[in-house]
Amino acid sequence: MRRSLIALLGLLAVGVVIFAGSFQLARRACVASMANSTDDLEWLRQEFHLGAAEMARIRHLHEGYLPKCGEMCERIAAKKHELEAALTGATNVPPAAEQALAELGSLRAQCQGQMLKHFAEVSRAMPPEQGRRYLAEMQRLTLGFHEQVEQSMSGSAGHAHGHH
Amino acid sequence: MKTSKLEPEDTRLSALLRESRESPSLPPHFREYVWRRIEHGEKPDSLPAGFAWLDGLAARLLRPGFALACLTAMLVAGALLGVAQGTNLAKQEAQARYLAAVAPNPLH
Repeated sequence: MRRSLIALLGLLAVGVVIFAGSFQLARRACVASMANSTDDLEWLRQEFHLGAAEMARIRHLHEGYLPKCGEMCERIAAKKHELEAALTGATNVPPAAEQALAELGSLRAQCQGQMLKHFAEVSRAMPPEQGRRYLAEMQRLTLGFHEQVEQSMSGSAGHAHGHH
Repeated sequence: MKTSKLEPEDTRLSALLRESRESPSLPPHFREYVWRRIEHGEKPDSLPAGFAWLDGLAARLLRPGFALACLTAMLVAGALLGVAQGTNLAKQEAQARYLAAVAPNPLH
């Protein structure tokens, strides 16, 4: 009986090793074969099952959007530096910092608006059903986080106000 | 010189020899102890009662064909799960790459 138990445990151990080994090998091979693409748009092709013509249209839109996005990011970064400079050494919020904050907010809004317009354009370049799914997914991914932060902040603020 | 021949079957001699040999006294409960040892020795190398099914299971699983089939099933299951998780990981990486390109920092 004891020999049977040892043999069973041995078989189980061999099974576990084989399972773990094949799992690791398959996972690595899969990631290596799928993630070696340097194309930023590969996810769109895979996720939304796009053809060559749709991908060409989207690539054109994408390449047109990237310089605008980069320029907006540079303007936002410059405004952030301006705000930091205005706040350096100040014990309160000087008018220059308030103005920089307002401009920063406006730039961010412009950037987000531009981004959402791009998503809408890309969604129109896709088949209707995939386009709707893409737009919903991109809004969730880019604005969802913002909403989560706001909700958590308002929730905690309300809780704090309840105690005061 | 007087010589006498000793007979090996001499009963008197045997009795004298037996009496002259001192046999050590046995410890108390010696017989019970011996029987207990015999009983323990007769017991098979077994697990507690209720685990008898293990023998049957082992006999079934350790048949070469069945064991090979089990190991093959483990191999296939591991590979399928690995492919599923690898695909998911690769998809997440591709999504992150696209997001980094179009929305470098949504909150700035």
